[in-house]
Amino acid sequence: MGRWRWRYWPLKAKLLFPTLFTSTLGIVLVCASLIVVENENYREQLESELQVIAGILAEQSAAALLFEDHEQLSNIISSLRKIETIKQACVFNASGVLMSALYSSDDTSCTNMKAQPELGFVGDYYRLSQPVTLYDDTVGLIYLISHLEVLKAHIRTFIFLALGIGVLIQLILVFVAFKLQRVVSHPILELSGAAERISLAHDYTIRAPVYGNDELGRLGTTFNDMIGTIEQQNRRILESRDGLERIVEHRTSQLSLANKELEAFSYSVSHDLRQPLRAIEGFGRALEEDCERLLDETGKDHLRRIRAASVRMGGLIDGLLVLSRVSRQPMESKRLNLSEMLQDIAEELIDLSKPLPTEVHIQPDIWVVGDGRMLRIAFQNLLENAWKYSAKEQVRLIEVSATSGADYITIAIQDNGVGFDMRYIDKLFVAFNRLHTPSEFGGTGIGLATVNRVILRHHGKISASSEVGEGARFCVSLPVGD
Amino acid sequence: MAGGYFLLFSKFLIALALCVSLSFAHASVLSEYEVKAAFFYNFTQFVSWIPVPDKKLPLRICVLGDNPFGDLLQPLVGRKSQGRTLELANPEDLTAAVGCNVLFVGSSNLRNLPAIIATAQEGNMLTISELPGFIGRGGIIGYVKQGNIIRFEINLQAADAAGVSINSRLLELASRVIQ
Repeated sequence: MGRWRWRYWPLKAKLLFPTLFTSTLGIVLVCASLIVVENENYREQLESELQVIAGILAEQSAAALLFEDHEQLSNIISSLRKIETIKQACVFNASGVLMSALYSSDDTSCTNMKAQPELGFVGDYYRLSQPVTLYDDTVGLIYLISHLEVLKAHIRTFIFLALGIGVLIQLILVFVAFKLQRVVSHPILELSGAAERISLAHDYTIRAPVYGNDELGRLGTTFNDMIGTIEQQNRRILESRDGLERIVEHRTSQLSLANKELEAFSYSVSHDLRQPLRAIEGFGRALEEDCERLLDETGKDHLRRIRAASVRMGGLIDGLLVLSRVSRQPMESKRLNLSEMLQDIAEELIDLSKPLPTEVHIQPDIWVVGDGRMLRIAFQNLLENAWKYSAKEQVRLIEVSATSGADYITIAIQDNGVGFDMRYIDKLFVAFNRLHTPSEFGGTGIGLATVNRVILRHHGKISASSEVGEGARFCVSLPVGD
Repeated sequence: MAGGYFLLFSKFLIALALCVSLSFAHASVLSEYEVKAAFFYNFTQFVSWIPVPDKKLPLRICVLGDNPFGDLLQPLVGRKSQGRTLELANPEDLTAAVGCNVLFVGSSNLRNLPAIIATAQEGNMLTISELPGFIGRGGIIGYVKQGNIIRFEINLQAADAAGVSINSRLLELASRVIQ
């Protein structure tokens, strides 16, 4: 059904249809009006012929009527036999008495004129009444009935002829219209074909042929100009893309070089720096153990400080290594139960920490997708922070909850610790930035930077909110994954 | 031979029966002189006079001598034929017939016929008579009786001589025309 709608028609049909519809309508109307006119004309002709015949008959039969010469009357009207259309001819005298009659084979009697029969074209017959007059005296009446078979046959022939000519003209018009529509449709089809080829092959060197200087010609020229512009722009885009690719390649190689240097640096840090540090620490301990008696209290204090600093530096180096590892290490994503992981971490922390009344609530069955080792580092840091900053409270309260969205699952870690000032939120996730002094709370300043790096590598987000003394809330959003 | 006679006789019978039935249709309604009187008026309608007379003048119909029509012609008086009013006269002799347009010659004028014809020709008159052989003797229209049917014959020469023109429609109806 839908295929027959106008908008699905091909252009050729759209061009042909209105032309042919109009011409068909025109031909039909012309034929119909010709037929009507011919019918009228033929009727009038028939009428006037019969009137002439009746007039002649009246003139001829006047004398015979007066002298009541039946023989002569029948002679006169028998001449009508030659006229095939006459069905009945009756001659009445002045007093309405039938004087003579002529019937065709299937007819029998004359109409009674006193009944005043309807005249003119009635039904299948034409009826005519012609008074016979002589010097203004009516001496009789001639009544003629003509059947209309000749008229009908004539009109039938005329209709067939008109239809035949109409069909012939229509055929010629179809032929001509078909030829002419190509003049219009050919450039459009060429244009459409060119557009399709360009669209399919993405070949912007193709041009549509341009015919003439009319609207279609201008359309073709404009189309070609547009394609030319697109071709140029496409070339420029491709060139700049190639340029960009070269730049990216260059930068990538630079980046990988830098990465290698960083790895080398990390390696140096982990091994080269650690060795002297272990020496400092080891010899410091040896000094403490072996020469404790030789040192006074000041010396011992200095020694203790050296050892503490070297321990802290070892922590820093470890932290940096972890940060570097989480940045470079390839990810192995899988689905895992975060609640269990957090529970493990919390139990480890409870074991390690000082006996402070601690309440940890972890919402069960939080499932996330990610690299288990990295996530463990991140959440270990977050829980350690919560642990650390709530160490000075009467009771430690830590709550982990999760809310699922369409694309993300958000895990919130809430503690009742000291919190932080929201003014410094910008510095919170930057390495080596600390919001508390080491004397208040120990730490390297690398933990949250590492957490941030892990979450970013998981395409997640991290945010924090707090008020000083009111605890802190860290929210981690991770993509749900497939 | 007997079959031939029988055939002839039967044909005659049929013809007779036809004639009787046809004439009966008229004779039963109109007498002979009624028909003749009707014809009389009809003749005036198919005849024209040369030169063409003034239409205002009456058309004078004269019955010369004995009038066999009796009163049957009276209804014609005052009627119009070709626009002229009909007048009826019954002149006793020829001298009194001057000015007639149509002259009916009665049977009593048989002896005087040549003079009447001559006078009529002079006077531009249409002569009508029921005398047998009337048109052969110079008359223009003569009634004849064929069986029971009244018909008429015309002498065109006589009509020409009298300056009377007879309509061809009337000639068609005549049983005999002398040209």
